[in-house]
Amino acid sequence: MLFGWRSLVVSSLLFGMVATAETRPQYGGTLHVATRIAPASFDPADNSQPDSVARRNLSRLMFDTLVVMDHRGHLQPALATSWQAAPGSQRWQFWLRRGVKFHDGLPLTPEAVAASLRVPNPGWNVSAGVDSVVIEREAAAPDLPAELARARNGIAKRGAGGSVIGTGPFHASDWQPGKKLSLSAYEEYWGGRAFLDAIEVEMGRSNRDQLIALELGKTDIAEVATEQAQRTIGNGRRVVTSAPVELMALVFSRDKQSSEEGKQRDALALSIDRASIRSVVLQGVGEPSGALLPNWVTGYAFVFSSDQNLGRARQERSEIQHAPAWTLGYDAGDPLARVIAERIALNARDAGITVQTTMSANPDLRLTRLVLSSPNPRIALPAVAAAAGVGAPNLNSNSIDELYQAENAILQTQRLVPLFQLPAGFALSSALQDWSEDRDGTWHMDDVWLGSTRP
Amino acid sequence: MTFRRKLLLVFALTVFLSVATVAWIVSLVTRRAFERSNEEQTAALVAQFQREFKRNAGDVVHRVEAITASEATTRMALAVSRGTREGGGYLNEAGPIAESHQLDFLEFVDSHGIIVSSAQSPARFGYPENSLANWPSLVSKPAFLKQEELSDGTVLGQFAVRAATVGDQPLYVIGGQRMDRDFLAALELPAGMRAMLYRSTGTLFAPQLLIDASGPMKQAEKLSPLIDQVQKQGHDTTVLMHWSPDLVDDETIHAIPLNGPDDKTLGILLIGSSRRPYVEVKKRIQSAAMLVGGGGILAAILLSSWAAARVTRPVEQLAAAAREVGGGNLHTEVEVTSNDEVGDLAEAFNRMTRELLEQKERLIQTERVAAWRELARRLAHELKNPLFPLQLTVENLIRAREHSPEMFEEIFRESSVTLLAEINNLKQIISRFSEFSKMPQPRLQRVQVNELVGGVARLFQAQLESRNDAAIACQLDLEEGLAPIAGDPELLHRALSNLVLNAMDAMRHGGTLTLRTRQDLDLVRIEVGDTGVGLTPEECERLFTPYYTSKQHGTGLGLAIVQSVISDHGGTINVRSQPGQGATFLIELPRNLDKLRAPVPLTSDVVTRSQ
Repeated sequence: MLFGWRSLVVSSLLFGMVATAETRPQYGGTLHVATRIAPASFDPADNSQPDSVARRNLSRLMFDTLVVMDHRGHLQPALATSWQAAPGSQRWQFWLRRGVKFHDGLPLTPEAVAASLRVPNPGWNVSAGVDSVVIEREAAAPDLPAELARARNGIAKRGAGGSVIGTGPFHASDWQPGKKLSLSAYEEYWGGRAFLDAIEVEMGRSNRDQLIALELGKTDIAEVATEQAQRTIGNGRRVVTSAPVELMALVFSRDKQSSEEGKQRDALALSIDRASIRSVVLQGVGEPSGALLPNWVTGYAFVFSSDQNLGRARQERSEIQHAPAWTLGYDAGDPLARVIAERIALNARDAGITVQTTMSANPDLRLTRLVLSSPNPRIALPAVAAAAGVGAPNLNSNSIDELYQAENAILQTQRLVPLFQLPAGFALSSALQDWSEDRDGTWHMDDVWLGSTRP
Repeated sequence: MTFRRKLLLVFALTVFLSVATVAWIVSLVTRRAFERSNEEQTAALVAQFQREFKRNAGDVVHRVEAITASEATTRMALAVSRGTREGGGYLNEAGPIAESHQLDFLEFVDSHGIIVSSAQSPARFGYPENSLANWPSLVSKPAFLKQEELSDGTVLGQFAVRAATVGDQPLYVIGGQRMDRDFLAALELPAGMRAMLYRSTGTLFAPQLLIDASGPMKQAEKLSPLIDQVQKQGHDTTVLMHWSPDLVDDETIHAIPLNGPDDKTLGILLIGSSRRPYVEVKKRIQSAAMLVGGGGILAAILLSSWAAARVTRPVEQLAAAAREVGGGNLHTEVEVTSNDEVGDLAEAFNRMTRELLEQKERLIQTERVAAWRELARRLAHELKNPLFPLQLTVENLIRAREHSPEMFEEIFRESSVTLLAEINNLKQIISRFSEFSKMPQPRLQRVQVNELVGGVARLFQAQLESRNDAAIACQLDLEEGLAPIAGDPELLHRALSNLVLNAMDAMRHGGTLTLRTRQDLDLVRIEVGDTGVGLTPEECERLFTPYYTSKQHGTGLGLAIVQSVISDHGGTINVRSQPGQGATFLIELPRNLDKLRAPVPLTSDVVTRSQ
């Protein structure tokens, strides 16, 4: 009995110590990340590289922005501790955090920040003050701080030979463009050293390979394709998904040339059975959408109908004398895109419209994924318009009505047909502790640490 | 063409035709044998294809049945039967199953005909399977042909349908394999043969639908008539295709319609058999025939030459001998070398020449006798005329001595004159005969005929003009630029003078003497014409016979001498005359300038001929 009581006490103490050790953050360890993307550069201002949630997150590991957006969409200080707008919101001043150093040990200066911001924003007038930078725009820019929170505005010092140096929690120790990126914790990070010692990123891996690597314990974070999310969860994996951050849409290569073509585009949009595609192809993930921005960003997306209306589609089609056959292009490396494109072609045929899927470079319309550029709709909508080849909407106020009108105007051009709003999903290993991410899929890697539990 | 060449040609032609006939027969037999072999090969390939087709069809059936019996299908059938299809459905189910069972097509279709999952068209989920009418009736049937519509076009395939029944409702499994270039490439074909496949649309020919093992066919349009014909008639058809002007590219195409379960032609299999081996064999045969034929013709020419020479040599000898005889050489004989008809002919020829020679000799004897008789007659006639006055004169002298001695002296003087005159006359006669016998050979030199003729005219000009009551006009018609000839000017002058004298004798009452010269190639013509009494045809015929004369006091040697001179110059003389219309003597003299360098006497045979 005595033995039993002592044993119970010892066991309880040991359990308590183990439990404490498992829940208390630990320094050290190397986090392995696998991605499908394979960028040739991580320069935040390099627009030639495809945009994706994964790229933004990897970029944020190395490059800080002046401000960041928290999970509620509120702006928080980062490299800038405070900011102020002059009346009219054309002139903004950002006061920089003191004591911040680049990865090469040199201090962050207003001049460096100004030089960095001029690269992705050549239209801005950026000047350096004593301990601040001043940004002047030609028009009112009430959302400039939100714009500066985008990863593309990460502060980087560009050296000779295309090298870029940031101030983020990790610095690149090895970089094989398109293949591998090795990051090490930056000891002098202004926000405090990260728990992880290093992060190894393997790029260009297919979703299937990533999941196998996760299964074998060779990676801790793997991208999960939309259609695989449910199955991955069903297989007992730990999957985190963002709010919808990616618009899948049909984008026409040119403006409509006639009212008849407008009717044909309208008939095509009405013929698409988004519900079946979501149910079967997307495995129930994502949201059918008739809007350009997700509902969680604007709050009014549901107003734009996304229901199939075959009768009206046929009616529209019957009013067209001559409906030319269209070619529908898609990303050959995206198996999901192929099935959806073919399904759209079948739907279109039901409405009497001939759509031929193709992988050629110049189709009449293309199935495209557009990543939400910012949780701020007044920043995201112009980006969508630009991607669709439509002129930037005129947004001068914070009015939701103005935003709706602008989005509706873009849709009226019929340059693009919204299909789905898709989330970004990642499968995580069980060793990953204190994982958190924002609704737009932004990781908070500085809080993450590795536990001992590994498969 | 000579007899030998004719024989040669006949022999060569015979050999050539024989060789050509043999080559043609061999070519014909070879072609038929090849055609037969080709047909057998094609039939074998068709049979092989049908076996392959059936085996493939059997494989498709087995694989579809295996899928139908698999656990995945059972699970899917159960879920579909219960209506518990999950939200994700079975979008990606069919693809991996089809891949694992090596099928190109696989669809799971529920009892309502709705596609549950499709390997070839994943996007067709939820759509009805309506590519084939009444397809549930094909369950448990063998594989069949079907056209499958894909996003990138329609393809042809072998399909099988099976049903997995779990509960009340069946789940249909429709699987198949594509019939495409890989299918064609998998066929084991003999060398020189190939298989092509046309996916029939039931409408007009579309070249892009015709493929072979390497992909879309080149020059596919050329097969359009064949494919259209097979589509219309629906049975096997064979044609010969000319792909290019070169015959080695020719190909025999055998088209087989491939029908679906409703007997509609869905595809056409074309089996091409290259005619290259046949054409090459044919070319080799033709080359051999040409070689053998050429050799045969060459051998035929040599043999024919030898045989023709052997056959024709006696004939040629006979011909040459005949020409010799024709030329007057009757001493010609041919050698008798055989006992056949040609030998008989040679003997007959020799006999003939011998008889001709004997006859000639007899004729010569006869003519010689006749000539002697004529000479004797002429001599007697010529001598008799002076002898008769001599006799009378001598008898007068005798009578005068006996009866009138006083007048004897006077009579003697007168008689002596007469005797001397007649004796002189006799001497002249004897002199002319002597002169004819002593005709000299011409001494050739360059002679200008016009000058010669002009000289003769000038010589007789005075005599012609002195005849007051019967003047003769002399008309010279000499061709300018007349070429010189080789001749003896003295003899020719004498001959022309004789002719002029004869003309003057013929124009006792006056007339016109015409002297004309003409050039005719290598001949020079001289015409001496008069407008005198003319000659009868009989006189024309005998005119140049020695001692023949139509004149009262002529010796008959004048024209004979003229003919002798002309003949000695290698020329000829003829007369053209009608009684009362004058006469014209035509002399043709060869130029013979080449004889001036080698002044060889004219040959005896020429003399003989001219005589």
